[in-house]
Amino acid sequence: MMIIIKAIIILIEIIIAYLLQTSVFTELRLADVVPDILMILTASLAYIFGKKTGILTGFVSGMLIDCTYGSLIGLYALMYTVVGYVAGYAHKVYDENDYTLSFFIVGGSEFLINLMYYILFYFLKGDLDLGHFLVRYLFPRVIYTVLISIILYRLINMNNSLFYRLSKSIKKEKRVTVFNGFNVDDDRQDI
Amino acid sequence: MGRVKKNFTISSKMIFTVLVILCVALIIVSYLFADLLSPVKTAVGNFFVPMQKGIATVSSGISDKLRIFSDKQDLIEENDRLTEEINELKTEMQILIHQEYELTWYRDLYENDSVYQNAEKVAARIISRNPNGSCDMFVIDKGEEDGIKRDMNVLAGGGLVGIITDVGKNWAKVRTIIADDSSVSGRFQPTSDTCIVKGNLRRMDDGYIDVEMINLNAEVYDNYEVLTSYISDKYLPGILIGYVTNIQKDPSELNKRAYLTPVVDFEHLEAVLIVKTLREDLEGFE
Repeated sequence: MMIIIKAIIILIEIIIAYLLQTSVFTELRLADVVPDILMILTASLAYIFGKKTGILTGFVSGMLIDCTYGSLIGLYALMYTVVGYVAGYAHKVYDENDYTLSFFIVGGSEFLINLMYYILFYFLKGDLDLGHFLVRYLFPRVIYTVLISIILYRLINMNNSLFYRLSKSIKKEKRVTVFNGFNVDDDRQDI
Repeated sequence: MGRVKKNFTISSKMIFTVLVILCVALIIVSYLFADLLSPVKTAVGNFFVPMQKGIATVSSGISDKLRIFSDKQDLIEENDRLTEEINELKTEMQILIHQEYELTWYRDLYENDSVYQNAEKVAARIISRNPNGSCDMFVIDKGEEDGIKRDMNVLAGGGLVGIITDVGKNWAKVRTIIADDSSVSGRFQPTSDTCIVKGNLRRMDDGYIDVEMINLNAEVYDNYEVLTSYISDKYLPGILIGYVTNIQKDPSELNKRAYLTPVVDFEHLEAVLIVKTLREDLEGFE
Protein backbone atom coordinates (compact mmCIF):
# COMPACT_ATOMS: atom_id res chain seq x y z
CA MET A 1 0.00 0.00 0.00
CA MET A 2 2.72 2.42 1.04
CA ILE A 3 4.64 1.62 -2.10
CA ILE A 4 1.66 2.58 -4.28
CA ILE A 5 1.23 5.91 -2.49
CA LYS A 6 4.96 6.51 -2.83
CA ALA A 7 4.86 5.67 -6.53
CA ILE A 8 1.94 8.04 -7.11
CA ILE A 9 3.63 10.86 -5.19
CA ILE A 10 6.86 10.40 -7.15
CA LEU A 11 4.98 10.20 -10.44
CA ILE A 12 3.27 13.50 -9.69
CA GLU A 13 6.65 15.00 -8.77
CA ILE A 14 8.10 13.80 -12.07
CA ILE A 15 5.25 15.32 -14.05
CA ILE A 16 5.63 18.66 -12.24
CA ALA A 17 9.40 18.59 -12.78
CA TYR A 18 8.94 17.80 -16.47
CA LEU A 19 6.47 20.65 -16.95
CA LEU A 20 8.77 23.04 -15.07
CA GLN A 21 11.68 22.04 -17.24
CA THR A 22 10.00 22.20 -20.63
CA SER A 23 7.60 25.10 -20.18
CA VAL A 24 8.73 27.33 -17.33
CA PHE A 25 12.51 27.21 -17.18
CA THR A 26 12.93 27.29 -20.97
CA GLU A 27 11.67 30.87 -20.61
CA LEU A 28 14.08 31.51 -17.72
CA ARG A 29 17.27 30.55 -19.47
CA LEU A 30 20.56 31.80 -18.05
CA ALA A 31 23.59 31.73 -20.35
CA ASP A 32 21.40 29.76 -22.75
CA VAL A 33 21.05 26.75 -20.48
CA VAL A 34 18.01 25.27 -18.76
CA PRO A 35 18.44 23.77 -15.28
CA ASP A 36 17.90 20.04 -15.30
CA ILE A 37 14.91 19.76 -12.95
CA LEU A 38 14.36 16.07 -13.70
CA MET A 39 17.99 15.47 -12.78
CA ILE A 40 17.53 17.28 -9.47
CA LEU A 41 14.52 15.10 -8.76
CA THR A 42 16.24 11.85 -9.77
CA ALA A 43 19.42 12.57 -7.78
CA SER A 44 17.52 13.83 -4.72
CA LEU A 45 15.16 10.86 -4.60
CA ALA A 46 18.06 8.46 -5.11
CA TYR A 47 19.84 10.19 -2.24
CA ILE A 48 16.79 10.17 0.01
CA PHE A 49 15.28 6.75 -0.74
CA GLY A 50 18.10 4.72 -2.27
CA LYS A 51 19.01 3.06 -5.52
CA LYS A 52 15.68 1.42 -6.37
CA THR A 53 13.74 4.67 -6.27
CA GLY A 54 16.58 6.47 -8.06
CA ILE A 55 16.65 3.97 -10.90
CA LEU A 56 12.89 3.99 -11.43
CA THR A 57 12.57 7.77 -11.17
CA GLY A 58 15.46 8.16 -13.61
CA PHE A 59 13.95 5.71 -16.03
CA VAL A 60 10.51 7.37 -16.06
CA SER A 61 12.01 10.89 -16.33
CA GLY A 62 14.31 9.87 -19.16
CA MET A 63 11.46 8.12 -20.94
CA LEU A 64 9.38 11.30 -20.80
CA ILE A 65 12.12 13.32 -22.48
CA ASP A 66 12.66 10.54 -25.02
CA CYS A 67 8.99 10.35 -25.91
CA THR A 68 8.66 14.09 -26.44
CA TYR A 69 12.03 15.37 -27.57
CA GLY A 70 14.29 12.42 -28.29
CA SER A 71 15.04 11.11 -31.74
CA LEU A 72 15.80 7.65 -30.40
CA ILE A 73 13.62 6.32 -27.59
CA GLY A 74 15.75 5.04 -24.70
CA LEU A 75 18.85 7.25 -24.85
CA TYR A 76 17.83 9.72 -22.16
CA ALA A 77 16.18 6.93 -20.17
CA LEU A 78 19.50 5.09 -20.17
CA MET A 79 21.43 8.14 -18.98
CA TYR A 80 18.97 9.02 -16.22
CA THR A 81 18.76 5.38 -15.08
CA VAL A 82 22.54 5.19 -14.74
CA VAL A 83 22.62 8.46 -12.81
CA GLY A 84 19.79 7.30 -10.54
CA TYR A 85 21.73 4.13 -9.79
CA VAL A 86 25.03 5.90 -9.11
CA ALA A 87 23.42 8.61 -6.98
CA GLY A 88 21.70 5.85 -5.02
CA TYR A 89 25.04 4.95 -3.45
CA ALA A 90 24.88 8.27 -1.58
CA HIS A 91 21.82 7.03 0.32
CA LYS A 92 24.20 5.40 2.83
CA VAL A 93 25.22 8.84 4.11
CA TYR A 94 21.73 10.36 3.94
CA ASP A 95 20.85 12.74 6.75
CA GLU A 96 17.44 14.37 6.78
CA ASN A 97 18.68 17.62 8.26
CA ASP A 98 21.82 18.04 6.18
CA TYR A 99 21.29 20.11 3.06
CA THR A 100 24.88 20.76 2.00
CA LEU A 101 25.67 17.25 0.85
CA SER A 102 22.71 17.20 -1.53
CA PHE A 103 24.23 19.98 -3.62
CA PHE A 104 27.35 17.93 -4.21
CA ILE A 105 25.24 14.94 -5.16
CA VAL A 106 23.07 16.93 -7.56
CA GLY A 107 26.14 18.66 -8.99
CA GLY A 108 27.99 15.38 -9.37
CA SER A 109 24.99 13.75 -11.04
CA GLU A 110 24.59 16.66 -13.43
CA PHE A 111 28.29 16.43 -14.25
CA LEU A 112 27.96 12.70 -14.88
CA ILE A 113 24.90 12.99 -17.11
CA ASN A 114 26.51 15.75 -19.14
CA LEU A 115 29.62 13.65 -19.66
CA MET A 116 27.40 10.84 -20.94
CA TYR A 117 25.56 13.38 -23.07
CA TYR A 118 28.88 14.53 -24.51
CA ILE A 119 29.96 11.00 -25.30
CA LEU A 120 26.64 10.01 -26.89
CA PHE A 121 25.82 13.20 -28.78
CA TYR A 122 29.21 14.77 -29.56
CA PHE A 123 32.07 12.30 -29.24
CA LEU A 124 30.42 9.57 -31.29
CA LYS A 125 29.56 12.14 -33.96
CA GLY A 126 33.23 13.03 -34.26
CA ASP A 127 33.14 16.30 -32.31
CA LEU A 128 36.18 16.05 -30.06
CA ASP A 129 36.27 19.59 -28.70
CA LEU A 130 35.66 18.74 -25.05
CA GLY A 131 36.88 22.16 -23.83
CA HIS A 132 34.18 24.00 -25.72
CA PHE A 133 31.53 21.63 -24.41
CA LEU A 134 32.77 22.07 -20.84
CA VAL A 135 32.72 25.85 -20.94
CA ARG A 136 29.64 26.33 -23.07
CA TYR A 137 27.30 23.66 -21.72
CA LEU A 138 28.59 21.57 -18.85
CA PHE A 139 29.69 24.17 -16.29
CA PRO A 140 26.75 26.56 -16.84
CA ARG A 141 24.33 23.63 -16.61
CA VAL A 142 25.91 22.25 -13.43
CA ILE A 143 25.99 25.68 -11.77
CA TYR A 144 22.43 26.62 -12.73
CA THR A 145 21.10 23.19 -11.75
CA VAL A 146 22.82 23.31 -8.36
CA LEU A 147 21.48 26.83 -7.76
CA ILE A 148 17.92 25.74 -8.49
CA SER A 149 18.39 22.59 -6.41
CA ILE A 150 19.02 24.77 -3.34
CA ILE A 151 15.32 25.61 -3.43
CA LEU A 152 13.97 22.43 -4.96
CA TYR A 153 15.83 19.99 -2.72
CA ARG A 154 14.21 21.58 0.33
CA LEU A 155 10.78 21.05 -1.23
CA ILE A 156 11.55 17.47 -2.20
CA ASN A 157 12.99 16.71 1.22
CA MET A 158 10.03 18.34 2.96
CA ASN A 159 7.70 16.25 0.85
CA ASN A 160 9.72 13.22 1.81
CA SER A 161 9.54 13.89 5.53
CA LEU A 162 5.79 14.41 5.23
CA PHE A 163 5.64 11.06 3.49
CA TYR A 164 7.66 9.47 6.28
CA ARG A 165 5.36 10.88 8.92
CA LEU A 166 2.42 9.46 6.98
CA SER A 167 4.03 6.04 6.72
CA LYS A 168 4.92 6.15 10.44
CA SER A 169 1.34 6.85 11.40
CA ILE A 170 0.19 3.96 9.24
CA LYS A 171 2.81 1.75 10.85
CA LYS A 172 1.53 2.77 14.26
CA GLU A 173 -1.94 1.62 13.23
CA LYS A 174 -0.39 -1.64 12.07
CA ARG A 175 1.34 -2.03 15.41
CA VAL A 176 -1.99 -1.66 17.14
CA THR A 177 -3.37 -4.47 15.01
CA VAL A 178 -0.31 -6.57 15.84
CA PHE A 179 -0.87 -5.79 19.48
CA ASN A 180 -4.41 -7.02 19.16
CA GLY A 181 -3.11 -10.20 17.69
CA PHE A 182 -4.06 -9.81 14.01
CA ASN A 183 -1.91 -10.83 11.12
CA VAL A 184 1.63 -10.58 12.41
CA ASP A 185 3.14 -11.54 9.04
CA ASP A 186 1.81 -8.40 7.39
CA ASP A 187 3.93 -6.26 9.62
CA ARG A 188 7.07 -8.27 8.98
CA GLN A 189 6.80 -7.76 5.26
CA ASP A 190 6.45 -4.06 5.78
CA ILE A 191 9.92 -3.82 7.33
CA MET B 1 15.65 -9.71 8.32
CA GLY B 2 19.00 -10.67 6.83
CA ARG B 3 17.30 -12.55 4.02
CA VAL B 4 15.07 -9.58 3.28
CA LYS B 5 18.05 -7.24 3.08
CA LYS B 6 19.88 -9.56 0.73
CA ASN B 7 16.85 -9.69 -1.54
CA PHE B 8 16.71 -5.92 -1.56
CA THR B 9 20.26 -5.40 -2.83
CA ILE B 10 19.90 -8.09 -5.46
CA SER B 11 16.66 -6.67 -6.74
CA SER B 12 18.01 -3.12 -7.03
CA LYS B 13 20.83 -4.41 -9.21
CA MET B 14 18.38 -6.57 -11.09
CA ILE B 15 16.06 -3.65 -11.76
CA PHE B 16 19.02 -1.66 -12.98
CA THR B 17 20.19 -4.40 -15.34
CA VAL B 18 16.69 -5.04 -16.66
CA LEU B 19 16.06 -1.33 -17.30
CA VAL B 20 19.42 -0.81 -19.00
CA ILE B 21 18.77 -3.78 -21.27
CA LEU B 22 15.27 -2.44 -21.93
CA CYS B 23 16.70 0.99 -22.83
CA VAL B 24 19.27 -0.49 -25.20
CA ALA B 25 16.58 -2.65 -26.79
CA LEU B 26 14.33 0.39 -27.21
CA ILE B 27 17.16 2.39 -28.76
CA ILE B 28 17.78 -0.38 -31.28
CA VAL B 29 14.06 -0.82 -32.01
CA SER B 30 13.46 2.91 -32.45
CA TYR B 31 16.55 3.17 -34.64
CA LEU B 32 15.48 0.33 -36.92
CA PHE B 33 11.73 0.97 -36.96
CA ALA B 34 11.23 4.66 -36.38
CA ASP B 35 7.46 4.58 -36.94
CA LEU B 36 6.78 1.67 -34.62
CA LEU B 37 7.00 3.75 -31.44
CA SER B 38 5.40 6.93 -32.74
CA PRO B 39 1.96 6.10 -31.23
CA VAL B 40 3.65 6.11 -27.81
CA LYS B 41 5.18 9.50 -28.53
CA THR B 42 1.82 10.82 -29.67
CA ALA B 43 0.09 9.52 -26.56
CA VAL B 44 2.67 11.12 -24.24
CA GLY B 45 2.36 14.37 -26.18
CA ASN B 46 -1.42 14.33 -25.96
CA PHE B 47 -1.15 13.86 -22.20
CA PHE B 48 1.23 16.76 -21.57
CA VAL B 49 0.20 19.33 -24.13
CA PRO B 50 -2.96 20.55 -22.34
CA MET B 51 -0.89 21.22 -19.20
CA GLN B 52 1.87 22.90 -21.15
CA LYS B 53 -0.72 25.01 -22.94
CA GLY B 54 -2.07 26.11 -19.58
CA ILE B 55 1.38 26.99 -18.31
CA ALA B 56 2.20 28.86 -21.51
CA THR B 57 -1.01 30.87 -21.19
CA VAL B 58 -0.39 31.65 -17.53
CA SER B 59 3.29 32.49 -17.98
CA SER B 60 2.62 34.73 -20.96
CA GLY B 61 -0.12 36.38 -18.92
CA ILE B 62 2.29 36.95 -16.03
CA SER B 63 5.05 38.21 -18.27
CA ASP B 64 2.59 40.61 -19.87
CA LYS B 65 1.71 41.90 -16.43
CA LEU B 66 5.34 42.24 -15.46
CA ARG B 67 6.31 43.91 -18.67
CA ILE B 68 4.17 46.96 -18.07
CA PHE B 69 1.69 48.24 -15.53
CA SER B 70 -1.93 47.27 -15.74
CA ASP B 71 -3.24 50.58 -17.09
CA LYS B 72 -1.21 49.94 -20.21
CA GLN B 73 -2.71 46.52 -20.76
CA ASP B 74 -4.63 47.73 -23.78
CA LEU B 75 -1.44 48.95 -25.36
CA ILE B 76 0.16 45.54 -24.85
CA GLU B 77 -2.74 43.75 -26.45
CA GLU B 78 -2.67 46.11 -29.36
CA ASN B 79 1.08 45.72 -29.60
CA ASP B 80 0.80 41.94 -29.65
CA ARG B 81 -1.81 42.11 -32.37
CA LEU B 82 0.29 44.51 -34.38
CA THR B 83 3.43 42.40 -33.93
CA GLU B 84 1.60 39.43 -35.31
CA GLU B 85 0.33 41.54 -38.16
CA ILE B 86 3.81 42.85 -38.85
CA ASN B 87 5.11 39.31 -38.94
CA GLU B 88 2.47 38.37 -41.46
CA LEU B 89 3.12 41.49 -43.48
CA LYS B 90 6.84 40.83 -43.41
CA THR B 91 6.21 37.41 -44.85
CA GLU B 92 3.95 38.98 -47.42
CA MET B 93 6.53 41.66 -48.18
CA GLN B 94 9.34 39.19 -48.62
CA ILE B 95 7.21 37.32 -51.09
CA LEU B 96 6.43 40.50 -52.98
CA ILE B 97 10.05 41.63 -53.06
CA HIS B 98 11.14 38.29 -54.37
CA GLN B 99 8.33 38.17 -56.83
CA GLU B 100 9.23 41.55 -58.17
CA TYR B 101 12.84 40.54 -58.45
CA GLU B 102 12.00 37.36 -60.21
CA LEU B 103 9.61 39.13 -62.51
CA THR B 104 12.24 41.58 -63.53
CA TRP B 105 15.08 39.15 -64.06
CA TYR B 106 13.73 35.67 -64.43
CA ARG B 107 10.27 36.14 -65.83
CA ASP B 108 10.68 33.42 -68.34
CA LEU B 109 12.32 30.94 -66.05
CA TYR B 110 10.39 31.21 -62.82
CA GLU B 111 6.94 32.46 -63.54
CA ASN B 112 5.45 30.26 -60.85
CA ASP B 113 7.63 31.40 -57.97
CA SER B 114 6.35 32.17 -54.49
CA VAL B 115 3.78 29.43 -54.47
CA TYR B 116 3.30 29.89 -50.79
CA GLN B 117 1.94 33.39 -51.25
CA ASN B 118 -1.62 32.21 -51.77
CA ALA B 119 -1.31 29.12 -49.65
CA GLU B 120 -3.38 28.91 -46.50
CA LYS B 121 -1.36 29.64 -43.36
CA VAL B 122 -2.05 28.96 -39.70
CA ALA B 123 -0.58 30.92 -36.81
CA ALA B 124 0.56 28.89 -33.80
CA ARG B 125 2.10 29.60 -30.43
CA ILE B 126 5.17 27.83 -29.04
CA ILE B 127 4.25 25.99 -25.85
CA SER B 128 7.40 24.08 -24.95
CA ARG B 129 11.02 23.77 -25.97
CA ASN B 130 13.74 21.16 -25.91
CA PRO B 131 14.56 20.50 -22.23
CA ASN B 132 18.30 20.78 -22.84
CA GLY B 133 17.88 24.48 -23.60
CA SER B 134 18.82 24.54 -27.26
CA CYS B 135 16.44 25.95 -29.86
CA ASP B 136 16.58 22.97 -32.21
CA MET B 137 13.09 21.72 -31.45
CA PHE B 138 9.88 23.08 -30.05
CA VAL B 139 6.21 22.14 -29.72
CA ILE B 140 3.37 24.31 -31.03
CA ASP B 141 -0.26 24.37 -29.98
CA LYS B 142 -1.80 23.37 -33.33
CA GLY B 143 -2.15 19.79 -34.50
CA GLU B 144 -4.17 17.36 -36.57
CA GLU B 145 -7.40 19.06 -35.54
CA ASP B 146 -6.20 22.25 -37.22
CA GLY B 147 -5.12 20.44 -40.36
CA ILE B 148 -1.42 20.30 -39.60
CA LYS B 149 0.45 17.49 -41.29
CA ARG B 150 3.99 16.17 -41.23
CA ASP B 151 6.52 17.98 -43.45
CA MET B 152 4.61 21.25 -43.52
CA ASN B 153 6.89 24.29 -43.62
CA VAL B 154 7.07 26.67 -40.67
CA LEU B 155 7.78 30.38 -41.13
CA ALA B 156 8.22 33.41 -38.91
CA GLY B 157 9.04 36.99 -39.65
CA GLY B 158 9.41 36.32 -43.36
CA GLY B 159 11.93 33.53 -43.01
CA LEU B 160 12.07 29.79 -42.78
CA VAL B 161 11.94 28.39 -39.23
CA GLY B 162 11.82 24.67 -39.92
CA ILE B 163 9.59 21.75 -40.65
CA ILE B 164 6.94 19.73 -38.79
CA THR B 165 8.29 16.34 -37.75
CA ASP B 166 5.60 14.91 -35.47
CA VAL B 167 1.91 15.68 -35.20
CA GLY B 168 -0.48 14.92 -32.35
CA LYS B 169 -4.15 15.68 -31.78
CA ASN B 170 -3.64 19.30 -30.83
CA TRP B 171 0.14 19.73 -30.96
CA ALA B 172 2.97 19.40 -33.42
CA LYS B 173 6.73 19.20 -33.09
CA VAL B 174 8.88 21.50 -35.20
CA ARG B 175 12.52 20.84 -36.05
CA THR B 176 14.26 24.11 -36.77
CA ILE B 177 16.83 24.65 -39.51
CA ILE B 178 19.54 25.24 -36.90
CA ALA B 179 19.23 21.67 -35.53
CA ASP B 180 22.31 19.56 -36.15
CA ASP B 181 20.37 16.98 -38.14
CA SER B 182 18.62 19.50 -40.36
CA SER B 183 19.70 20.15 -43.92
CA VAL B 184 17.84 22.29 -46.43
CA SER B 185 18.51 22.55 -50.10
CA GLY B 186 18.97 26.22 -50.95
CA ARG B 187 19.90 28.58 -53.75
CA PHE B 188 21.46 32.03 -53.84
CA GLN B 189 19.14 34.79 -54.83
CA PRO B 190 20.75 36.68 -57.66
CA THR B 191 22.76 33.84 -59.17
CA SER B 192 20.66 30.74 -58.49
CA ASP B 193 23.68 28.68 -57.49
CA THR B 194 22.61 25.81 -55.30
CA CYS B 195 23.85 24.91 -51.84
CA ILE B 196 22.94 22.90 -48.76
CA VAL B 197 22.07 24.78 -45.56
CA LYS B 198 23.05 22.61 -42.60
CA GLY B 199 22.11 23.28 -39.00
CA ASN B 200 24.91 23.75 -36.51
CA LEU B 201 23.90 24.43 -32.92
CA ARG B 202 27.43 25.20 -31.83
CA ARG B 203 28.04 27.80 -34.54
CA MET B 204 24.59 29.20 -33.72
CA ASP B 205 26.10 30.57 -30.50
CA ASP B 206 27.76 33.15 -32.74
CA GLY B 207 24.59 33.53 -34.81
CA TYR B 208 25.56 31.42 -37.81
CA ILE B 209 24.74 28.07 -39.35
CA ASP B 210 26.61 26.29 -42.15
CA VAL B 211 26.23 26.48 -45.92
CA GLU B 212 27.89 23.63 -47.75
CA MET B 213 28.27 22.20 -51.23
CA ILE B 214 28.59 25.51 -53.03
CA ASN B 215 30.03 25.00 -56.49
CA LEU B 216 33.64 26.14 -56.79
CA ASN B 217 32.76 28.25 -59.80
CA ALA B 218 29.69 29.79 -58.22
CA GLU B 219 29.77 33.55 -58.05
CA VAL B 220 28.71 34.12 -54.50
CA TYR B 221 29.48 37.12 -52.33
CA ASP B 222 28.74 38.19 -48.78
CA ASN B 223 25.17 39.16 -47.93
CA TYR B 224 23.63 37.28 -50.83
CA GLU B 225 20.22 35.93 -49.92
CA VAL B 226 19.71 32.20 -49.60
CA LEU B 227 16.25 30.88 -50.48
CA THR B 228 14.86 27.36 -50.45
CA SER B 229 15.51 25.78 -53.82
CA TYR B 230 13.29 24.18 -56.42
CA ILE B 231 14.88 20.78 -56.06
CA SER B 232 13.97 20.28 -52.41
CA ASP B 233 11.31 17.62 -51.89
CA LYS B 234 10.09 18.90 -48.53
CA TYR B 235 10.55 22.65 -48.51
CA LEU B 236 8.47 24.95 -50.67
CA PRO B 237 10.61 26.93 -53.12
CA GLY B 238 11.40 30.59 -52.67
CA ILE B 239 11.31 30.94 -48.85
CA LEU B 240 14.04 33.18 -47.46
CA ILE B 241 16.45 31.35 -45.15
CA GLY B 242 19.12 33.94 -44.44
CA TYR B 243 22.14 35.85 -45.62
CA VAL B 244 25.49 34.31 -46.45
CA THR B 245 28.87 35.46 -45.09
CA ASN B 246 32.44 34.23 -44.71
CA ILE B 247 32.66 32.27 -47.96
CA GLN B 248 35.73 30.04 -48.16
CA LYS B 249 37.04 26.94 -49.82
CA ASP B 250 36.10 23.61 -48.30
CA PRO B 251 39.08 21.67 -46.92
CA SER B 252 38.31 19.03 -49.52
CA GLU B 253 38.98 21.66 -52.25
CA LEU B 254 36.00 20.30 -54.16
CA ASN B 255 33.51 23.00 -53.27
CA LYS B 256 33.03 26.08 -51.16
CA ARG B 257 31.43 26.56 -47.78
CA ALA B 258 30.12 29.58 -45.94
CA TYR B 259 28.26 30.83 -42.88
CA LEU B 260 24.63 31.82 -42.97
CA THR B 261 22.83 34.29 -40.70
CA PRO B 262 19.21 33.14 -40.42
CA VAL B 263 16.56 35.84 -40.72
CA VAL B 264 14.60 34.29 -37.89
CA ASP B 265 15.52 35.07 -34.27
CA PHE B 266 15.24 31.56 -32.85
CA GLU B 267 16.02 32.59 -29.28
CA HIS B 268 13.02 34.89 -28.96
CA LEU B 269 10.54 33.09 -31.14
CA GLU B 270 7.03 33.07 -29.66
CA ALA B 271 4.65 32.47 -32.53
CA VAL B 272 5.07 30.92 -35.96
CA LEU B 273 3.13 30.55 -39.21
CA ILE B 274 2.57 27.15 -40.76
CA VAL B 275 2.05 26.88 -44.51
CA LYS B 276 -0.65 24.32 -45.14
CA THR B 277 0.57 23.44 -48.61
CA LEU B 278 2.89 20.45 -48.83
CA ARG B 279 5.71 20.34 -51.35
CA GLU B 280 4.42 17.08 -52.76
CA ASP B 281 1.02 18.66 -53.44
CA LEU B 282 2.55 21.14 -55.85
CA GLU B 283 1.95 19.02 -58.92
CA GLY B 284 2.64 20.53 -62.26
CA PHE B 285 4.98 22.98 -60.67
CA GLU B 286 8.23 23.34 -62.51
